[in-house]
Amino acid sequence: MADFDLIVVGGGPAGMAAARRVREKGLSVAVIDEQQRPGGQILRQPPAVFRVAGWLAERSYRPVKAELAAFEATQGIAWLGGRSAIGAAREGDGFVVHAAGPGDLLRVAGRRLLIAAGCYDLPVPLPGWTLPGVMSAGGVQAFLKSQQIVPGDRFVLAGTHPLMLIVAAQIIAAGGEVAVVAFDQPRSRFLPIIARRWTSALRHVGTFAAAAGALRLLRRRGVPVRFGLPLRSAHGVASVEEARFDGATVACDRIALCYGFVSQSDLPRMLGAGVAWAGPAGGWRTLHDDWMATDAEGLWIAGETSGVAGAAVALEEGRLAALGILRAAGRIDDAEGAAAPIRRRLAGLRGFTELLAAVGDPTEALARPNPPETIVCRCEDVTQGAIAAALADQHAPNAIKLATRCGMGLCQGRSCEATLLRQIARASGEPEGARGGFTARFPIRPARIGDLIESGTVAIEATNSSVHAD
Amino acid sequence: MIVIGAGLVGSAAAWHCARAGASVLIAEAGHPNIGASGQNAGSLHFQIERRFLENGERLAEEAARITAISRIAIADWAGLETALGEDLHVRRDGGLMVAETAAEVALLERKVAREQAAGLGTRLLDGDEARRIAPYLAEGIAAAGFLADEGHADPRAVTPAFVRAAERAGATLRTETEAVAIARQGGGFAVTLRHTGREETIRAARLLIAAGAWSPQVAMLANLHLPLFPVALTMNATERVAPLLPHLVQHVGRRLSMKQTHAGNILIGGGWPSRLRRGTGGAFDPALRPEPIETSRTENLRAAAATVPAVADMNLLRSWTGVTAITADQLPLVGEVPRMPGLFVAAGGSAFTLGPTFARLVARQMLEQDRAEADEALAMLSPARFEHLNGFMG
Repeated sequence: MADFDLIVVGGGPAGMAAARRVREKGLSVAVIDEQQRPGGQILRQPPAVFRVAGWLAERSYRPVKAELAAFEATQGIAWLGGRSAIGAAREGDGFVVHAAGPGDLLRVAGRRLLIAAGCYDLPVPLPGWTLPGVMSAGGVQAFLKSQQIVPGDRFVLAGTHPLMLIVAAQIIAAGGEVAVVAFDQPRSRFLPIIARRWTSALRHVGTFAAAAGALRLLRRRGVPVRFGLPLRSAHGVASVEEARFDGATVACDRIALCYGFVSQSDLPRMLGAGVAWAGPAGGWRTLHDDWMATDAEGLWIAGETSGVAGAAVALEEGRLAALGILRAAGRIDDAEGAAAPIRRRLAGLRGFTELLAAVGDPTEALARPNPPETIVCRCEDVTQGAIAAALADQHAPNAIKLATRCGMGLCQGRSCEATLLRQIARASGEPEGARGGFTARFPIRPARIGDLIESGTVAIEATNSSVHAD
Repeated sequence: MIVIGAGLVGSAAAWHCARAGASVLIAEAGHPNIGASGQNAGSLHFQIERRFLENGERLAEEAARITAISRIAIADWAGLETALGEDLHVRRDGGLMVAETAAEVALLERKVAREQAAGLGTRLLDGDEARRIAPYLAEGIAAAGFLADEGHADPRAVTPAFVRAAERAGATLRTETEAVAIARQGGGFAVTLRHTGREETIRAARLLIAAGAWSPQVAMLANLHLPLFPVALTMNATERVAPLLPHLVQHVGRRLSMKQTHAGNILIGGGWPSRLRRGTGGAFDPALRPEPIETSRTENLRAAAATVPAVADMNLLRSWTGVTAITADQLPLVGEVPRMPGLFVAAGGSAFTLGPTFARLVARQMLEQDRAEADEALAMLSPARFEHLNGFMG
């Protein structure tokens, strides 16, 4: 069986940046990603057969597109696209990662492992949120970017995250209709935050320009952008028909929720790496040292895995992780010197990340009470009331899972864990995440049993264009 | 009475003692049902287990004697949902223990003969007869032992129901409460319990250790050896699928047990190991989550797909590991410790299927009600058989 020098999970900005730099120093690298093509959620590259004029032409996408072009031009990276990394374990003096594809399962073995698995939209339960037609903003964006499809006719965007403006503008540009963009927080929240961190704001004029540009487009098309308008519930018979706000009902066939993002953390937790609760949206961010190495020997992380901070930070962390890995492998002379400018840029980006987090802070929205029949775990249909009943006896997340089935379903708890831990914190008076979370179990995505029984291995000579399983 | 451990056996014994009028305290170091009671896959299996058959005739002969308790357990499970007034998802549509090779068929024939002699209603079916009852079975299945009393129940439901019943009958449950000292006092015991850093000593005439894999550590507080060894097992669950598998399915020659839960998931286990982790002192620590062993998972699934081919096209939803305990002779450990009258133990495996019965019988011993009958039923499981280990203890 072939051993790669490095396995990278995630072909987004962080994974691409790290894989390319490690490969350029002569190490063998395999990259596993759920999308067919590299680029991550930020780019969502359309299939190769699509010809898309002016694909993501906005200025903000340029650095990631440049990294993508460089990554695709790098020879000798084994690209394992269209595959889910469903598990990771120690094997020999390295790791084995199980990569499930549409018709088979590969065991990918390697000395070192970098997890740059990105993040997903924070699920926010409110009455009607499981109705067909209620989506995450990220899900809407994935349709727009990768399939060039507007997945609906009349959209309501609701939440706290400024990304809503960008998504709304993308819907309009692609020919869709947006009924309203409803920010949960009042407009008065924005200015003081920006004023407090004006130096960070100034340094990221480009991002503000993108948001301002989106806002102008929405104004021009007469799309109302409202502040201090919390979404209370979604209603409809077979699918969503209206969004209800305080004192207003808006007809729509799609609601896109946008309250923030949660790090993918299953694999680092499965491997025993140290994690910390990432408030206020929640989820687990994996802890790391100055070289992006975790406290689990041989395991590195980069990008949203270390805490949600956006593509610019992800690119830099990927570069830094590559230096850390090359340094550990003895393939670089002056790692400190190469790392210094990256660390400076990361320090510069930190203020802006904090600014964005403060502007989009979902704390108030998440604290708003829902009726007890509101579903928390959508895989197993477990309600907030059922969890409240179980919380009368105990507060440990795994115990609540066993008692109620919350988190036992197809998503392995990804969509309910943050909600459950918030509810536990309210009941116990302890901080969120104080009692840990669900145990990360294999497989982190459901996998066909026949494939698990007859898994193959991947040959090291695999390249960008083809992967040979034996 | 003090019961240490709010798993299935502890909470059920507490219920029996409390409803007979005893004042009962259950001390649980964590929370009810978080150990093997809630982590096992819920088989109600009464045919002789494969683990007894793979280690020679002598052990198989001993195991045949445990069928006497199995027969009592069959009756106990029949009345349990009514007695507790709760739906435990008990399903008894029968269990099949299947054989593929000629050698396995011969082993199965000997096993069924033993069971019939011991009064169990197991029937031997050939492959076609088995597939008529269970059309999901593979063509390669050559024979099956069928026992109509077998089936499964919901481990998520059973222990919490016992806990609620015990509390209704007047028992007190203290969670996150660890026993930190056990002293003999007068004719009974003084047990020191610690909860959130505060200690309290409580007197009891009788003490039951029902702490699963943790039982030896609790017994150490009384300066006693309990010859129980932790074992870490692997279990698998498929996604929910349409009703397919009404029976409990086991294999006489491979480690395999399968059943479909009330919710629709097919649970696949059968005794495949995972790796126990060692604590700071170097000994196995049952509190540390065992590490999965990939070949266990794969071979368990391979055995499942060879027996029920439809499984190959289902998705695996989750693999998990859990810790249980076995004794040196593989038989459970239930009864009074001769070295220390008043101290009882009920642990050591098979305690989902047989747990309600262990609890009922050990409660009778503790209450001194129909004790002779309980002593006789539990004779072969009595801690007395390991008493030589405690010759210099106590």
